[in-house]
Amino acid sequence: MLLASVLAPFIPLAVMHDHRSLLAQSLGQLGVSGGRDQPLVIAFAATCSLRESPELTRIRAELRGLGAALLLVAEGRIFTFRPDDELDPYGRRDGYDLETTAALRASCGLPVPQSRPHELALVVTSGNGSIVARQIVQAEDSLVALAVGLHAAGLEAIAPRHASMLSRREIVLASLVGAFALLAAQGCHEPAKPPPIAVVSPAKPAKPARTRQTALNINGQVYSLEIEPRVSLLDVLRERLGLTGSKKGCDHGQCGACTVLVGGRRVNACLTLAVMVGDTPVTTIEGLAKGEALHPMQAAFVSEDALQCGYCTPGQIISALGLVRENRAHTDAEVREHMSGNLCRCGAYSNIVAAIQKARAESTAG
Amino acid sequence: MKDFDYLKPSADADAVHAGQTGGARFIAGGTGLVDLLRLDVERPDLLVDLGGLEHGAIEVDQNGLRIGAMVRNSDLAEHPEVVASFPVLSQALLSGASPQIRNMATLGGNLLQRTRCPYFRDVAVEACNKRKPGSGCAARAGYSRMHALLGVSDHCIAANPSDMCVALLMLDATVHTHGPRGERSISLANFHTLPGARPDVEHVLEPGEIVTAVSVAKSGVAKRSAYVKARDRASFAFALASAAVGLELEGDRVRNARVALGGVASKPWRCLEVEQALLGKAATAESFRAAAAAAMHDAKTTPDNQFKVELARRVVARALSLAAEQR
Repeated sequence: MLLASVLAPFIPLAVMHDHRSLLAQSLGQLGVSGGRDQPLVIAFAATCSLRESPELTRIRAELRGLGAALLLVAEGRIFTFRPDDELDPYGRRDGYDLETTAALRASCGLPVPQSRPHELALVVTSGNGSIVARQIVQAEDSLVALAVGLHAAGLEAIAPRHASMLSRREIVLASLVGAFALLAAQGCHEPAKPPPIAVVSPAKPAKPARTRQTALNINGQVYSLEIEPRVSLLDVLRERLGLTGSKKGCDHGQCGACTVLVGGRRVNACLTLAVMVGDTPVTTIEGLAKGEALHPMQAAFVSEDALQCGYCTPGQIISALGLVRENRAHTDAEVREHMSGNLCRCGAYSNIVAAIQKARAESTAG
Repeated sequence: MKDFDYLKPSADADAVHAGQTGGARFIAGGTGLVDLLRLDVERPDLLVDLGGLEHGAIEVDQNGLRIGAMVRNSDLAEHPEVVASFPVLSQALLSGASPQIRNMATLGGNLLQRTRCPYFRDVAVEACNKRKPGSGCAARAGYSRMHALLGVSDHCIAANPSDMCVALLMLDATVHTHGPRGERSISLANFHTLPGARPDVEHVLEPGEIVTAVSVAKSGVAKRSAYVKARDRASFAFALASAAVGLELEGDRVRNARVALGGVASKPWRCLEVEQALLGKAATAESFRAAAAAAMHDAKTTPDNQFKVELARRVVARALSLAAEQR
């Protein structure tokens, strides 16, 4: 069983600041820098190799959101990656000894050696040593961990006091620019105290008293999360795990855009409290394709042109899968009746029925 | 949504105990409650999840069914014995909500389903005696097209929205409960209460009392039964008027009949006048229409909902014809 858990930053940020010069020095020795206009994400993993996958697509998206480059440190190797880079199977940088990477890890305020084999530690820096976010994620699949950690780091970078005004990327960049400006004004000398505007969101709000540790099995991956009982499965998928394929339409179970499979049965994720799901496996639209190969139902929606704006489509496809499994709708009229929980404001219904009938015929033929 | 605590007991006694604490609400499928939580109509301090209890089975014996309170609506509707011996129940369940919601919603939750009155669901509206006792009823002078005509009071004209309950009432079902004073069985006919001066009270359950099962007995009227629902769109809409009917025929004559109405009353509504009018009559569309005219005589209409008087009669006649056509 795969396991991923997102742990909150575990070291007070005051300690992080002590590592500022150390990290800058360490990065300088490596000849690595995010550049003065670009934040840097440093990820430490026991093993991790980038490969084209849905996770890498998410990783690229999160890096774009942060406006950051990635420095992946694994197995004594250091690998730089920007969100629009082609994958280079040999890596850009190679051959650092374990001592060097351990020093970099220490300079980020992380324990050395790495405490758990499936742990991925992730630090977002300004490129010269200011740490603006930090996440520890545990997962067997390091790419999943990286995607989840980047998403969590992005959320962490949204300070409550800024959140209403700026997007995530704007916050990170604005704050970093502020930090650089201050450093420049001081002749780039190390300030005795942390600059007041350098750090976006170190201070977490007080932990809500009523959260529960909940393990959710999403698309075969187990995530361990602290969840308030009032939070819907839909909000956990979208806001905590970055799985934004399931859509929020009405948030009252009337439109079906949030449809997911729980235990193989289609349900409205907006009406499902996440704490009530337990370890029952959840399948979202992200769990259907195998690499680049679309699920037959997805392929049928494409070939039959069963969408216009596409907002309801993930819910339609998941609901259609539930319908096929239920095996009670056969005629077009029955398919329409049993898809009544999924609204399409573009009115693509006739093609949706055609797509479902096509995929259903293929699945029964196969 | 207000913050609340969450508890998932694994024994009835623990659930009953937890349910008696102030501000506690039971949750089963959640399709009704989570909706109302999000609307701020419900503001509990504690949710007691009944999903850990052992009430998820459908037991079949020669006399009928005992259906666990946690059985999902879709599983009940698809159960072979329900389809074969209680078609009205299967049809009523499948006419309700959407496949997604039926996969979540439970028997127990459906029994306790809250009204769809828009004034009840909108906390910006001050006057709702059901939500805030003594505050008045905005629906009486407001938009009342979906509202009830039977069983209403000056304090509330909200309609009970359940389809399943209409079928269960026609089947003369019994509700089994476990409460602070032990277990008991309640006829479904006595389970829901009329609004009267206390529309906030909707059923006879005591604080902490949980529904554990519903039993229905096999019968001739259960076997030859049908559910017809009139609504504003072809699917996934609440009833304007609905009818659950069962017939026992002797030759081409009606020997026994049961009729219950939905969408038109404060609670699932047994229609004894029509049942009486059917006895001994020929099982023809004409006599069904004539008998159905006995329905709705006590209706208290508003200008918005007076159309339901005729609609309900036609729905009853149609359901009787469908039941008679079955072999």
